[in-house]
Amino acid sequence: MDRKWELDEANTVTAHFGFFGKKVISVNGKEVYSARKYTRNREIDFSLPDGRPAVLSLIPEFIGRPTVHLKVAGALAMETPKKPITCGSCGAVAKPYDKFCGKCGKPMPSAEDRELRGNISSATGAIKALAVLYVLGGLLMFAVARGHTDTALSKLEGMPDEATYPTQIEGRSYKVGELRKQIEWEPWGVLIVNLILATIMVALALWARRAPLPAVLIAAATYLVLIVANAIGDPRTLAQGWVIKLIVIAFLVKGIKAALALRTARA
Amino acid sequence: MRSGTQFCPACGQNLLAPAAAVPAPTPAPAKELAGGRRFVQLWEELKRLAWLFGLLLGTSFIFGIVWRGIRSPWLEVMETAVMAAIVLIAVSQRYPRLKFLFEVHSSSLREAAILVGVAVLFVVLASAYFELLAHLGVPIAKATGTLQRAGWPLWAVLLLVSVAPGVFEELAFRGVIQSSLERMLNARDAWLIQAALFSVLHLSPLIFPSHFLMGLCFGYMRKRSRSIYPGMLLHACWNALVVVGEF
Repeated sequence: MDRKWELDEANTVTAHFGFFGKKVISVNGKEVYSARKYTRNREIDFSLPDGRPAVLSLIPEFIGRPTVHLKVAGALAMETPKKPITCGSCGAVAKPYDKFCGKCGKPMPSAEDRELRGNISSATGAIKALAVLYVLGGLLMFAVARGHTDTALSKLEGMPDEATYPTQIEGRSYKVGELRKQIEWEPWGVLIVNLILATIMVALALWARRAPLPAVLIAAATYLVLIVANAIGDPRTLAQGWVIKLIVIAFLVKGIKAALALRTARA
Repeated sequence: MRSGTQFCPACGQNLLAPAAAVPAPTPAPAKELAGGRRFVQLWEELKRLAWLFGLLLGTSFIFGIVWRGIRSPWLEVMETAVMAAIVLIAVSQRYPRLKFLFEVHSSSLREAAILVGVAVLFVVLASAYFELLAHLGVPIAKATGTLQRAGWPLWAVLLLVSVAPGVFEELAFRGVIQSSLERMLNARDAWLIQAALFSVLHLSPLIFPSHFLMGLCFGYMRKRSRSIYPGMLLHACWNALVVVGEF
């Protein structure tokens, strides 16, 4: 993993994070730090050619890669992104260290502001991914449930609707007609529920553009509740796809924190 | 100067205009966005609300799991009692800030008419939603199924399915959650968030839309009247209508 910070026209810091804790930091192409130390939380101090002190911090995250911050003389530096930075007002291309747009003169977002917006964007991405998963999952489960429906209905063949089914289900007796209706509804129920959830997630992802905090908060609560509701139905589902569940929750929590920070700053 | 630029990217000075005529914009003071005192206060309050929501969800989960093995109406009583205890503790921790919800405010005839109008609109829309589900053949589990099978009298069922949720759900969502979020965010966002949390905590996606509508109505009544009682009354009445309909 390589990271780059263009601090001004004369200074560029690059960092290379290799396997097994290898870290190499260069300033204007000249190596200033190289070591192989495996520690999760680490701060590396070095100086720029003009004497300004710089600190590269690796902040461990709950899940995934650590956050990397470069602070120069105490101020967070803007990392050079892969796509060029553009002004939010006029769309002109700007340098990462520009404090104002050269074309329209409007202030450019700070490094922290940009990082928080990135976290919100990741959370919105997770919400969109959930919407896609619910649509695909719904279609898949519909197909599987249709297969089970045919098998279950064949067992009730020849029984009149008014008769009581001989075996109790989850401690309850059912009329055959009632049972038939429930079995026929099952695949459609799964499909409709998943489509409702996908619609909720799409609506929240769209709303997150205007009001990220409530949208991401509601998405996180809905996702947690669905995990719990599924686990009540079948506790084994709690362990299914737990890595994806943790990643989604981590993105959503970071998104909530970032949206709250931006909201506090605007207030 | 970079080609094509009119303003200095470092200070914002208009480079093509005389310096005296167009003063350079003052850059906004650098704020530590995620470390400020206000942010920390709000984040801590949000965590406390998450705890409340998590405890209520956890209670539903534990009783839901136990329910798979023991289908007793007493389990519903115990679940209601645990949830009531959680809500009462949350209310008692914030009571000075929630006191206004328990005071009876004088209201004009117009205000009272608006609240009644909202209540009527809610009953019509919620009934229409459940009629639609029934028309589509969606099987909806009876709220009083277990209690009826156990032969519990109507008054006991009303107490458990109508009065208890009417009081404790309103205290949790329109009391603690809506009021705390109003102070943290704004009235509109707080109203929408509490309605969404209220609907999802019922754990059934098929009733998310109807319960979101309920949350919006009860929340609006609480916002409009600055009192928890109108929402409590409507909530308990709606649940009582459901109970009487099922009996």
